[in-house]
Amino acid sequence: MSLDRPVTVSSSSPGAKAPGILNTTALRRGFEGVHAADDVSISVRPGRITGLIGPNGAGKSTVLAMLAGTLAPESGRIHFEGSDITSMPAYRRARIGLVRTFQMSAEFARLTVLENLLAASQMNRGDSLFGALLGRRYWGADEDRLVAEARALLSRFGMTAKESDYAGDLSGGQKRLVEVMRALMLHPRMLLLDEPMAGVHPNVVHEIADCLESLRDGGLTILLVEHELPIVERLCDPVIVMAQGRVIGEGTLSTLRLQPEILEAYLVG
Amino acid sequence: MSYYLVTIAVYFAVDAMACVALNLQFGVAGVINFGFILFQATGAYVAAVLSLPKDTAHNGFQQYVLGLHLPFPYPWLAAILVSGLLALPIGLVVLRRLRNDLQAISLIVTSVIATLIVTNSTPFLNGAAGVALVPAPFAGHMSPTGTPYEWLYIGVAFACAVLVLLFATRLTYSPYGRTLRAIRENEDAAGALGKHVYARKVVIFVVGGALGGLSGAVLVGYIGFWAPSAWLYPETIILVAAIIVGGRGNHLGAVLGALLVPLGFEEVTRFIPQFGTSGLTPAIEWVVIGSLILGFLWFRPRGVIPETRRVFGPTRDG
Repeated sequence: MSLDRPVTVSSSSPGAKAPGILNTTALRRGFEGVHAADDVSISVRPGRITGLIGPNGAGKSTVLAMLAGTLAPESGRIHFEGSDITSMPAYRRARIGLVRTFQMSAEFARLTVLENLLAASQMNRGDSLFGALLGRRYWGADEDRLVAEARALLSRFGMTAKESDYAGDLSGGQKRLVEVMRALMLHPRMLLLDEPMAGVHPNVVHEIADCLESLRDGGLTILLVEHELPIVERLCDPVIVMAQGRVIGEGTLSTLRLQPEILEAYLVG
Repeated sequence: MSYYLVTIAVYFAVDAMACVALNLQFGVAGVINFGFILFQATGAYVAAVLSLPKDTAHNGFQQYVLGLHLPFPYPWLAAILVSGLLALPIGLVVLRRLRNDLQAISLIVTSVIATLIVTNSTPFLNGAAGVALVPAPFAGHMSPTGTPYEWLYIGVAFACAVLVLLFATRLTYSPYGRTLRAIRENEDAAGALGKHVYARKVVIFVVGGALGGLSGAVLVGYIGFWAPSAWLYPETIILVAAIIVGGRGNHLGAVLGALLVPLGFEEVTRFIPQFGTSGLTPAIEWVVIGSLILGFLWFRPRGVIPETRRVFGPTRDG
């Protein structure tokens, strides 16, 4: 039994023709009368790391949640690769390649690191009730292929030795890496990363930054919500600045630093 | 063979089936089904009214619906089917938007409501008095009172329990089971990885309900009687306690829990001399069961046989 429906998307509204891989048009969302996101229109260009920065309460995580499908906008549209995904549920967005990570660590604590990665895959015949009942002969080949793929990722990110550790026993930085690797198991078209450096040891921050750079160089598009400005400066071009639920500027961090209203709202505030 | 020992053996098989079914939902997928006993009861009632002749057959001393007088195995198969079908609308409603703790409360309330409905609508399933004289499933082939029949029934009950255990193990140690465990650990993260969390939870709720129904059918086929007093909501708490003690997520742990708590614990207390006012001993039993849950959650939260860590060997191509 499956409650899934086929992914259907339309591409008739104006945002579909915008240049980015992901475009939003006038997104709005409030909480108890406060505009957490107000008229947010952004465009994320493919193959780049776009930064989304702003002071606490600026609305960054609200926008990210709307993009990921875990929060419904009150108004506005979201287009991904030309298709309107505004009303698409989160799990279906992930299936079409728009994958998020969370601000707080969201590892599957009582699954091993390797299992965390395997759990992300959509391409296993044993991941259905009847497929599972047919036994390993039916799904074993898929499982072996995915284990090999997951091990290649673990090797790339220097986590091979942790393969059989429970994810809940890892350090904060290692958990972040597991989340990124888990997202990569879905072969995403775009990653939405919500403060992946939060609570991570400074040495590991640079490892994660290296990893994001290598993913970008491989053609992956990333929208990065981040507080650490040196990291943003190193990785992100362009950077979108939000304050009080609105977008107040966009450009490189060095040009944004020259704009007084942005300095006032965030950079030296 | 002593009737007492046969009864113990059948109850063990039934409790093991129920614990494994609930463990699939609660231990593996994280669905806290505090209304589980409803599905065991459904299986028992369905098997009973399909095995019984029309309610006019015994001078109308009891009232119930159907009374189709079907031979084995049809009442048991129908028990599985109807219990699963009952789980579907309940799962669709309860598992959709509520938080896990509110799901648990909703399910326990559903169980209580069902008990009240059955108790107060006598023509349906004979109310509080319950249905009696349920025919023994294999009575057409041999006398249901002799030792051979007792051995046969124990054999069938254990065969059902083993099948349920193999079924649950096959599901749990597959990619499907891994996704259920991922949902248990973090629903939002599983959804963000493209898993349809709601659909998965409904499916495992139906599967667990159907298995619970089988356990009820096996039980009523042996004791020949079923009434609301047999499936009050605290019965689910005993099964939950068994899983916590045995080991959440490990089906062998669930079987051990069935041996230790619903069977072992309740049988041991039979041999304690009555003391104090009437009802004091059962009350103390509940205090001890509650303490058992708290004690294990505090000192050994993974249970006696914890969920095993999955370690993968070298792959053929890697």
